[in-house]
Amino acid sequence: MKKTLLESATIVLIGAVLSLVANAVSPRGLKLSRDYFPKSEPVSSAPSNAVPVNAPANVAERLSALGFSMMDSNAVIQAYQSPERLQNLLIFVDARDDAHYAKGHIPGAYQLDYYRPENYLPAVLPAAMAAQRVVIYCSGGDCQDSELAGRLLRDSGVPPQNLFIYPGGFAEWSTNNLPVELGAKDSQIFQR
Amino acid sequence: MNTPRKSGFAEWSGVAVRWGVGLLFIYMGLSKALDPVDFLKLVRQYDLPVTSFLLNAISGALPWFETFCGILLLLGVCVRGTSLVILAMLAPFTILVIDRALELASAKQLAFCAVKFDCGCGAGEVFICAKVLENCVLMLLSAWLLTGAGRRLALRYSL
Repeated sequence: MKKTLLESATIVLIGAVLSLVANAVSPRGLKLSRDYFPKSEPVSSAPSNAVPVNAPANVAERLSALGFSMMDSNAVIQAYQSPERLQNLLIFVDARDDAHYAKGHIPGAYQLDYYRPENYLPAVLPAAMAAQRVVIYCSGGDCQDSELAGRLLRDSGVPPQNLFIYPGGFAEWSTNNLPVELGAKDSQIFQR
Repeated sequence: MNTPRKSGFAEWSGVAVRWGVGLLFIYMGLSKALDPVDFLKLVRQYDLPVTSFLLNAISGALPWFETFCGILLLLGVCVRGTSLVILAMLAPFTILVIDRALELASAKQLAFCAVKFDCGCGAGEVFICAKVLENCVLMLLSAWLLTGAGRRLALRYSL
């Protein structure tokens, strides 16, 4: 038994080192020092242009406490159809990873994978700063990545009153038979 | 009395179990290692009282560690030690999963076995009872390997 315990300790030691190295060298590895889920700082009052939505009460409360405005499905569709979008005064930001984004996104949406911001922020931030409204979404449901991406943009200098979260997310958008773009941004390849 | 045929069967069964558990851990480990962000979100759901650094270390390194253990078993290196480590990982994880399932069952007013969620094992969403059963079987098999089974075709059975 003593020998087995010694073996186990050796395996744990060597395995831990190898695993940490593997995580460090993997292009998909996590940055150990980064706090991916910082504690939210509640905002004293909700913004005056907050749109009441049909989101679960806890989601609405959480977003309101963060100072974000929300958009329901109808408001998002109106936003998509508005001339502002064509002038880039309104942009959509997809907070999902590469695989989900490529499988389908709101046409023209920028991608901002919150967990790998260095790859996306340089392209998204200038557009977000120039826009009057930035609508951020992720998968919908329990997904919190849109909020996290919103906080990232806010902390990067985008005025919070310009940031809107679409809690219904891509799941709601796609089930409503709305246009879906495939592949890269502005690929002009649409789902049939 | 152990006949040669029976002990031969037992030996080869041990090898099959060693390879089976090893391959399973390699598969489960790699499927998480190649998407650590997803695994990070799943680990977070357990609300462990850890710092963000430790949360990231668990999420980033544990899948690789599982893969490492799987490779050791597959090759037959330090089989007993690896089996003990796997047992030590499976036992608390199973308790965590049961605890989480009880929370979900209470919150959603479901029967325990009706609870289905992605526990972070690498197999996606699973019914909790099936997952607990699977883990119990894996723990039993690992315990059997700990007793000395799976020696045949082992590269270096002990240190």
